[in-house]
Amino acid sequence: MQLHLLNRSVASSHVYQDALRAMGDDDYLLLIEDGVYGAVAPLHEHFASIPGRLYALREDLASRGLEGRCAEQVIVVDMEGFVQLTEKTERSVSWF
Amino acid sequence: MSAKTATARCLRVGDREIALDPEGYLVDLSDWTPAVAEAMASEEGRVLTFEHWEVIEVLRDFYARFEMAPAMRPLVKAVGQALGPEKGRSLHLMTLFPESPAKVGARLAGLPKPTNCL
Amino acid sequence: MNNEDSSTAMLVVLRHAPHGSSWLREGLDVALVGAAFGQTVNLLFLGEGVQALMKDQQKGPLGQKGTHPTLDMLAMYDIDTLLVDADSLAQRGLTEADLQLPVTLITTSQLPFLFTQYAPVFNF
Repeated sequence: MQLHLLNRSVASSHVYQDALRAMGDDDYLLLIEDGVYGAVAPLHEHFASIPGRLYALREDLASRGLEGRCAEQVIVVDMEGFVQLTEKTERSVSWF
Repeated sequence: MSAKTATARCLRVGDREIALDPEGYLVDLSDWTPAVAEAMASEEGRVLTFEHWEVIEVLRDFYARFEMAPAMRPLVKAVGQALGPEKGRSLHLMTLFPESPAKVGARLAGLPKPTNCL
Repeated sequence: MNNEDSSTAMLVVLRHAPHGSSWLREGLDVALVGAAFGQTVNLLFLGEGVQALMKDQQKGPLGQKGTHPTLDMLAMYDIDTLLVDADSLAQRGLTEADLQLPVTLITTSQLPFLFTQYAPVFNF
């Protein structure tokens, strides 16, 4: 079980495709920094293949004016939730 | 990548002044001649034998091929490939260049300091 | 040199093309440091990273060093396992014949498993 961190927007970078392809069936994906742009409809549809395993960091959403605009399929976590995810997973892999 | 390092001092070789960086590596790699290696070695009280020169040749060839000075592991391998398994051993290189064969060897061979070794 | 299984090896994932940024060089540096300290190192070229393996690369227009000599040097550090994502090659119209070194092709279905097989994974 791994936690993948994505900090680029799906609208500006294709790296999310590499992340998705590298993800195992029980891995999580957390959108951070510019990655959170992908949490808003319709961009969140790029992550349709990982239902229930897509997270976005509240602090980064808030700073971009996106808090409350997230697609409902996205699980919003704060810093504490981020830490809990890292504790739950064996390791983190960063995609940038 | 080939940004020049600061000159700390100069080494007199014949009628030339050769610029060295704070760790004794050449500031301008094209300054290297066998006489420069001899001058560097004698300054440190080292005597270069045929066996030293063999390794210096291997080092210069390595740099010409890969544009990097080797760490110990690839140096051992390169020496083994060029000079045979008897010489391609850390012990042989440690005897020739005590302290650190990769660093001392690179300095005498006129290479930059190897970056990926301690 | 040593055939330890991959659970003790480190995986360096290279995802950036040469010349355009320093990510590729930094990833290669990490691989070389690992190997210099005796680690078994495997490389995975993924996405734009496959461009690092293109044949016939040269220095930059201002004489900037490329990374292709470093790739040729990997064997001297006993870094012999070069994994390449087959889809990344195909998407760019490339085949193994376009690459400067022999590689092992990996399919997309093998990727997730691959990531779990290494203790440290360094993603560049």
